[in-house]
Amino acid sequence: MTSAMSYEQLEAAAPLDPPPPGKQALLQIRNLEKSFGKRHILRGISIDIYRGETLAIVGGSGSGKTTLLRHLMGMLHPDEGSITLDGNMRLDHATTAELNSYRDRLGVVFQGAALLNSLTVLENVGLPLVEVRQMAPQLVYDKVVAALQKVYLPAGEILHLKPAALSGGMRKRVGIARAIVQEPELILYDEPTTGLDPVTVSGVNELTLDLQKRLGVTSVVITHDLPAAFTIADRIAMLYKGRIIAIGDRDAFRASPHPVVQQLLTGSTQGPLTEAFLQGQSRP
Amino acid sequence: MNPRKTTMLERLDHSTGVKAVEGLGKSAMDKASVGGRGMLLFIDTCYQLPLIRRSIPQLFKQIEICGIGSIMVLALIALLTGMIMAVQTGSELQKFGLETNLGAIIGATFVREFGPMWAAIIMLARVGAAMAAELGTMAVNEEIDALRVMNINPVRYLVLPRMLALIIAMPLLTVIADYVGMFGGGLIASYVYNTPSQQFLDSARGILGNLDFYSGLVKSTVFGAIIATIACDRGLNTSDGAEGVGRATNQTVVASVVAVLVANLIMTCFVQQILKPVTA
Repeated sequence: MTSAMSYEQLEAAAPLDPPPPGKQALLQIRNLEKSFGKRHILRGISIDIYRGETLAIVGGSGSGKTTLLRHLMGMLHPDEGSITLDGNMRLDHATTAELNSYRDRLGVVFQGAALLNSLTVLENVGLPLVEVRQMAPQLVYDKVVAALQKVYLPAGEILHLKPAALSGGMRKRVGIARAIVQEPELILYDEPTTGLDPVTVSGVNELTLDLQKRLGVTSVVITHDLPAAFTIADRIAMLYKGRIIAIGDRDAFRASPHPVVQQLLTGSTQGPLTEAFLQGQSRP
Repeated sequence: MNPRKTTMLERLDHSTGVKAVEGLGKSAMDKASVGGRGMLLFIDTCYQLPLIRRSIPQLFKQIEICGIGSIMVLALIALLTGMIMAVQTGSELQKFGLETNLGAIIGATFVREFGPMWAAIIMLARVGAAMAAELGTMAVNEEIDALRVMNINPVRYLVLPRMLALIIAMPLLTVIADYVGMFGGGLIASYVYNTPSQQFLDSARGILGNLDFYSGLVKSTVFGAIIATIACDRGLNTSDGAEGVGRATNQTVVASVVAVLVANLIMTCFVQQILKPVTA
């Protein structure tokens, strides 16, 4: 047995951490439940996302990170529970107009950048400006160049290239440029460092921190890259089998006595994560 | 110890026949569900039609891809089919001295059936499959999700120009197939069966009316809408990576062939049994 903890204790949800002084919650997630058929993915997630902070949600594969992110994008409806924006708008019961107004305030950086392969960098980054805001071409051009410069890309050289002609790191940066071109209040990052070499990972981390400082946006980063989470996040939450089992600032998270967190931090092969995997089940 | 007797219901639960019927029922339910989803996509696309002015460049690009790009292959197939038909039919007609009627037979076949059908088959094999693969790849690469979170409606941005392009291109391609097919038949009639071109044309004109011509065009328009709806629906709902893209492409071709043939049968019955007697 990996620890003295029972399976129920291992999977017990951590209590909500106290709000940082002077911070207001942009999103309040309460008791979020989601199942796909017989698979119970989210089991009562409760978490506050404060204005201006960067929250990293870490967890292993199949822990429910992507499902949680898709709820935050407004792409999935929870079976139970709520997501409240600004303390008054229920995202889970939002009308199309309300959802559209929320998405106007939202930027998403997808795992594979999700750039449209048939469009150039200029068209990709300028897409929401042209299609949604219907801006004049010159204004779109100026905003796209400015967004590319914010992510340290040579706009003049890549504007007319298609995504296939860019490296993985450049594609990721173009994806970030597209996410910030509308100056969103909230940016959701889905595994921003996955599949990148260490140098590019550091570059993307620095970029995320830099954007945070310069733009002051609220960011939620979904990742399984713990070093990246410690580099960029103000608070870290650990998702395990559909529950938040630990949450807090970097020091509080590091000090968590939870065996799953400790195993993830040490990278040990001995612990509840591997034990459950080897047994092929979570409960006896 | 006596073994517990199984009840009739328990035995039925494990019966191969019951399982086969269950499987058939589930398959029928799934197909009906996909059909309903396609119908909703078509209605949604029609609802987006007033916004087409925002997608004019994409519309022209799609017309170029599906229309202009298909002309050569369609013309070649129509030409060869017209020639083969003339050879096959002409040899039989010649026995009765009726080869002068080749124009009527080839004209009626092409204008009523072969023109729209060949255009549909080329479109579903060449354009429908490519459309499903393109949209399917976009779906598995999260590009469709990216559009949604940017508040860009994928139906308006991706489906509408594709569907409209097919609906516009199909009648034009059908007219080309009609004329090229008849031209092929006319060549064989003229050089093999010594039927003058004028006689071939007069024979065709004698049997064909406006209803034949317009019904062929309406058919092709409907086929275009069916192919685009199926291709876009399968593409947008693709999952499971590259394997899913292959499956979506395959399903698009199979479902489109079946749907086009069923629609053709219904429309042909309607024209021949209801419209023709009324207009005669």
